[in-house]
Amino acid sequence: MKKVIFILLALVVIPTPSIAKKFLGAPVIPEGKVTEKMDDRLELKTPLSHDEVLSYYKKALKGYENIKFRDWKNDTYIEDDGNMQWHSITISKTDTDGARVVIVKDSWTWIIGTLVLRYIGVFMVLMVLFLAMTFSGKIISSVVAKLEAKKAT
Amino acid sequence: MTADEILDMLYSTLHTTGVFNFQWNLIIMWAIGCLFIYLAIAKKYEPLLLLPIGFGIFIVNFPLVPLMGYSHGHAQLLQVFYHYGLEWEVIPCIIFLGLGAMTDFGPLIANPKTLLIGAGAQLGVFITFTGTVLVGFTLKEAASVSIIGGADGPTTIYLTQHLAPQLLGPNALAAYSYMAMVPLIQPPIMRMMTNPEERKIRMRQLRPVSRQEKILFPLVTSGIIALLVPAVIPLMGMFMLGNLMKESGVVARLTDTAQGSLMNIVTIFLGISVGATMHADKFLSWKPLFIFSLGLVDFAVCTIGGIVTVKIMNLFLKEKINPLVGSAGVSAVPMAARVSQVQGLKYDKTNHLLMHAVGPNLAGVIGSAAAAGMFIAMFD
Repeated sequence: MKKVIFILLALVVIPTPSIAKKFLGAPVIPEGKVTEKMDDRLELKTPLSHDEVLSYYKKALKGYENIKFRDWKNDTYIEDDGNMQWHSITISKTDTDGARVVIVKDSWTWIIGTLVLRYIGVFMVLMVLFLAMTFSGKIISSVVAKLEAKKAT
Repeated sequence: MTADEILDMLYSTLHTTGVFNFQWNLIIMWAIGCLFIYLAIAKKYEPLLLLPIGFGIFIVNFPLVPLMGYSHGHAQLLQVFYHYGLEWEVIPCIIFLGLGAMTDFGPLIANPKTLLIGAGAQLGVFITFTGTVLVGFTLKEAASVSIIGGADGPTTIYLTQHLAPQLLGPNALAAYSYMAMVPLIQPPIMRMMTNPEERKIRMRQLRPVSRQEKILFPLVTSGIIALLVPAVIPLMGMFMLGNLMKESGVVARLTDTAQGSLMNIVTIFLGISVGATMHADKFLSWKPLFIFSLGLVDFAVCTIGGIVTVKIMNLFLKEKINPLVGSAGVSAVPMAARVSQVQGLKYDKTNHLLMHAVGPNLAGVIGSAAAAGMFIAMFD
């Protein structure tokens, strides 16, 4: 009996370590209330301000190497470039009564999409260069030809 | 002095030698270092780089050598080269300055269409990225590995140092090794991707390019790159500066230095620093081996990308381009262009493709730098 009382007392007295919830390995802010949950997306509403949520995530993700914080106009976008299951955590700046947090799963759609865009981007860069060279080439060639013709006469 | 004291002294003295700190995996690294020295000396594969890289690998893989660490808070010799040359990203840019001072962009200016081949040849870079991520590399590591297919050593080093410095050694080694093996890797792919009629396509002689156009080219190119892919302007800016120095004709001394002495000096530091990053503890894992195997695939897909781009362009062009010049869209200047020439001559002894292949070859340099810039922008 004494043992049982001791264990019960210990459970009450000894502070239990807080186990933070996670979604796809991403920390979920404890004050958040889930407003939408799917396999690849979790949306939360929290009474905390944007800055408080941001500082929570800065602390929670401290030590992770491939995490990037992007400061956008309406959101702070936390992106993982490593091997995490989650891809991004978006913290809204515009909500008046707290902040909205959206955690999204890492997806091949994003990777392939960004790669295709960048491949097209390389074409665009060289295409612009091609146009610039074609035009400048034509202009310079005609100017040089005129100058040479003048010299000849 | 007692016998014990003498033995202790002997024992502690012996522990300051490398013999007592020896590990078996160092032997593998010596073999790898010696293999690259052999390839450089006996096979003449990119000797200017593979020789110092090979020696760098060999010499840092001895126990207790004070080369790549810190003693009493001061960086050791090769660590100094590595820190100021590569970590600060100075050497790849200076090499580009020298390359610019050596390069004649005339063939590219005369036929600017070939710029698109340089873009098409970056296909492997983006496909390899996907494969590398699938295997478990981080996105940054995947980007740095995939650029190997662009076959541009300084760009590979620049991007890797920027995104995944821990892979610098294997990436640089794979890039330079495959660049050296262009004459072995590309011809079978070129044959596979073309038919005999296509290989015999004759291209019209290139128009002469005026000095004014050659002077304007580096200015226009740096302006466009600075606007569209600013992340890569340290490399491309230096490349274009070197070229402007050459084409202006008024700074012959600077041009000579950039393409001669300066280039040679930084090549020594580059080679030994890259080799020195490859210590057994870091190198002997699955990642470098994977990088080597995937680098080959990357290179092959880039070659295919260049050839396919020419074929697509030919659907719309009146004057057809010989698809053999498409393989030169991977950088590897001027080796890839020479391969196009040799392959072209095999099927028509009077069809000289060298000058036509130089255009895509130089476009490949710009294309791989643009791809690198896209990756840097993606992660910065």
